[in-house]
Amino acid sequence: MEHNLLSYFGKILLQIIWDFLYFPLWWYSAGLVKTIRGIGRFYHNEQVSLNFFVWLKNIFVPMYGQYDITGRLISFFMRLVQVIFRGLLMLIVIIFGFAFLIFYIILPPAILLAIWKQLL
Amino acid sequence: MNEDEINFEYNEKVKSDGLWFLGCFVYCHLHLKRSLIMLDRTLTFVRSLVNFIAFVLASLGWLSLAWYIYEVREVILNNPVLLLAPKYYQHPLILIFLLTLVFDLFLYYRHSVTQAAKQKINYRQLKLSGDTGHFRRKTLWNIADTLDDESKNVLDEAYLLAAKLKQAEVNPRHLFRALLKTKKIQAIFIRLGVDANLLVQKLDNHLADGENSSKPPVVGASLQRLIVLASLQAYKRHQAAITVLDLAWPCYDYDSILAEILYDLEIDDDKLKNVIEWFKVNDQIADNYREYHKAAILKPWGAMNRSYTSIATPTLDHFSTDLTLAARSGRLDLCMDRLKEFSAIFDAYSSGQAGVLLTGPVGVGKRTIVEGLAQMMVKESVPKFLQDKRLIELDSASLISGASASEAQERLLVCLSEANRAGNIVLFIADVETLMGISSGGQESFELIGVLVEAINRQALFCIMTASAENYAKFIEGKPLGESVTTVGVAEPNFNQIIQILESKAAMLESHYGIYLTYSALDKTVSLSNKYLHDVSAPLKAINLLQKAVILTNKVARNNPKKVICDGEEVALAIQDLTGIPANKVSESEGQKLLNLETDIHKRMVGQEEAVKAVSASLRRARADLKDSARPIASFLFLGPTGVGKTELAKTVSEVYFGAEDYMIRLDMSEYQEADSVSKMIGDQDGALGYLTEAVRKKPFSLILFDEIEKANLDILNLFLQLLDDGRLTDGQGRTISFSQSIIIATSNIGSVTIQDSIRQGIDISLIKQDLIDNQLSKYMRPELINRFDGIVVFKPLTEEDILTIATLMLKKIKKNLADKGVNFKADKDGVAILAKAGYDPKFGARPLRRLLQERVEDEIANLFLANQLRRRDTVFIDNLGHIGIEKGREL
Repeated sequence: MEHNLLSYFGKILLQIIWDFLYFPLWWYSAGLVKTIRGIGRFYHNEQVSLNFFVWLKNIFVPMYGQYDITGRLISFFMRLVQVIFRGLLMLIVIIFGFAFLIFYIILPPAILLAIWKQLL
Repeated sequence: MNEDEINFEYNEKVKSDGLWFLGCFVYCHLHLKRSLIMLDRTLTFVRSLVNFIAFVLASLGWLSLAWYIYEVREVILNNPVLLLAPKYYQHPLILIFLLTLVFDLFLYYRHSVTQAAKQKINYRQLKLSGDTGHFRRKTLWNIADTLDDESKNVLDEAYLLAAKLKQAEVNPRHLFRALLKTKKIQAIFIRLGVDANLLVQKLDNHLADGENSSKPPVVGASLQRLIVLASLQAYKRHQAAITVLDLAWPCYDYDSILAEILYDLEIDDDKLKNVIEWFKVNDQIADNYREYHKAAILKPWGAMNRSYTSIATPTLDHFSTDLTLAARSGRLDLCMDRLKEFSAIFDAYSSGQAGVLLTGPVGVGKRTIVEGLAQMMVKESVPKFLQDKRLIELDSASLISGASASEAQERLLVCLSEANRAGNIVLFIADVETLMGISSGGQESFELIGVLVEAINRQALFCIMTASAENYAKFIEGKPLGESVTTVGVAEPNFNQIIQILESKAAMLESHYGIYLTYSALDKTVSLSNKYLHDVSAPLKAINLLQKAVILTNKVARNNPKKVICDGEEVALAIQDLTGIPANKVSESEGQKLLNLETDIHKRMVGQEEAVKAVSASLRRARADLKDSARPIASFLFLGPTGVGKTELAKTVSEVYFGAEDYMIRLDMSEYQEADSVSKMIGDQDGALGYLTEAVRKKPFSLILFDEIEKANLDILNLFLQLLDDGRLTDGQGRTISFSQSIIIATSNIGSVTIQDSIRQGIDISLIKQDLIDNQLSKYMRPELINRFDGIVVFKPLTEEDILTIATLMLKKIKKNLADKGVNFKADKDGVAILAKAGYDPKFGARPLRRLLQERVEDEIANLFLANQLRRRDTVFIDNLGHIGIEKGREL
């Protein structure tokens, strides 16, 4: 019984210590992958809701089935405006995603640095 | 995986039982040891403790940040730039905040790791290879790692239980006992209406039945197999891990004692599995709902597709509703388990067919399938050619209304051309036959439906239509429309599927009406609706019945808030409400009544013991559910001279069994002698309703009396062959009318003279019956028809004593009538005997007596009334000579 208790205690202690040691490792491995995947999903959803590529692909296709010359012309410019506008929004989305990734990566060293600065 | 295909085998390499599933050997190797379990539990506890401490510290950090902000509020408001100076930012509160920020990150890490650990079955790793459908990587798969925390805990409990009882093996019974401690499984038994304590008590008596051992127990082979089966359940549903519900699923099959105990509590394998399914369906609905809403946000509003290449469709929009929009805002019902139909629809479209027609009986769920399609289109989980499209329902009623045929045609043409040009429309036309039979123009008559057929043939648009099976056969099959579309038959779901459909509706009904549904309510709903409701198909009839039962329960609950449980009995009441059929369990008093049926019948009927006995016995069989369910409750042929009580017995049965004489449908076969009698009885295609079929359709629970059957036309007798054998007829409109809840009685006077002569000669009644069947009946009816009656009952001519009793009964009726008028009545025994003797005629039975009593008693009394000689409180009497007299009552 005594032996059992000691070995339990040892194993649990090892496990808890491992939990802490694995923390920074996880942050830059599995955690990083998770974050990148999350940003990927975010990009995908924003792309679907902004429809940037659909507009780009159809830039020469007239809107509302107006196949006459005027219709085509108006439609082209309308789509151009839309593509530019949606492209800009998409760019903001991309920048935002990148910014978040960088934030994630530098957060732990930044905290450590800030603590260091406090202690100086 | 089909249960029959399960083939377990022993694998040398892993030293355990398992099975081959899609090219992978699935087995379960559990490491259960007391020390490991203890370690595991302590570790879980310590981890939670660590998490808690981290949480407290992290919160403290945010508090100190808030405190700091409070302290420097003046600086923030006046000159925030100052905060960048070390004097301000080098602050103990900030230091605390920064230090504890580490714990925030730690908590995030722990949360992510725990979340990720919940996905135990790694589908990506197990990805099936495209060609063979088999697992690509693993060939040996130990599913012990795929148990979720709760089920792992349950298995630990089972092990500890077996160890405590010094059992050599942990078996499914130990597992089940441990499962009963979990909330989810307890909830299952509440749904089943089972007293969990009783179950535990019974189970506890058998927990130590296995082999004893001083060594720690090992996981038995049957338990290993059970867990493997549970894992397949989880895999098929694409679950993240094996849950306790999966573990409970196969328990019934893996322990005979457990099965016996559950069976004693009226739970069979199907019931247990269906309730587990209920809980899973609920989880799934919640999951789907979340997923659906995420996807629905991305579906465009309005009529335009994503690329804005479609065209506005003002006319079509006017005559239609947008089902994809309705689905997007969650206004459509859930569609369950229709993968076969969906894949048939997609196959038809992808093979270049533009029109699909769903046919099936009324209520089978054709519309629900179309609504399900709309929901799939919202999620865009449809083949590419249906993506980014709208499902539009053409409202044929408003298309036709207020328009001449040519105007309607014009409208339809515009709608179709708009749909065609828009290019993003799938058109749905419900009950497409409504567009048929509308034609314009004189000589160049052109049907409205022709416009649609042409559009489909030109493949101008995707079109989906529905038509009931009846109308399909009548109007569409073999016509141009039928030939230009792919027909997809929608079949009635089976028992378990209907149960699951009801389960998917249960949560909504429960919350809406504030009642609680037990499983037996659902079970009864399906079985009773299948048995007694034949107008529409399942699942609609089951859904309607359940709703009715829920409303009834809700009504009761409003007066008595404790009675919120809707059980099988409430469903039986709902059936009784709808059809008049007492479908609940035979209650004790009713049981007594059925056992004393003969006595009850004899209160109205005199003599004919054999006939009464035969009828009573068959009614008892029917009520105890021992009869063949498709055939009529009972069918009899009553033979005997006139006036011996054949019709009277029929009336009595109707009153005693169905509760009133009104439940008798009487057809005099002398009116059905001509060749056209068949259509008179079952109706014809021109819309004439059949007398018999209509009566039974409206009141399936009734007694049908065919008087003087020998006079019926031969074609009618042929009809009876089917009626008696299958218990159903098809009427002129093509509806199947069920006679399974009817009692059928045919009477005949054939051989009355023979009966009277033979009885007089003292010949045994069974011999008389045989003689009648062999020599007399066969002249009028085919032997197979005679053979199909459950019983042929010969009524004896009435004796003088019988007539005397009948006279007493008839006078009782007169007494009752007089009592209603406030007049008393009494009769001298000798006088009654004189009257009975005068009315006795063995040839005509009780009829002459009735006439005699009419003339000598009723007519006399009527005259006295009219002459104002008889007043209230007077007493009419029959003296010892059979004459009528009056005793004057006292004056007030």
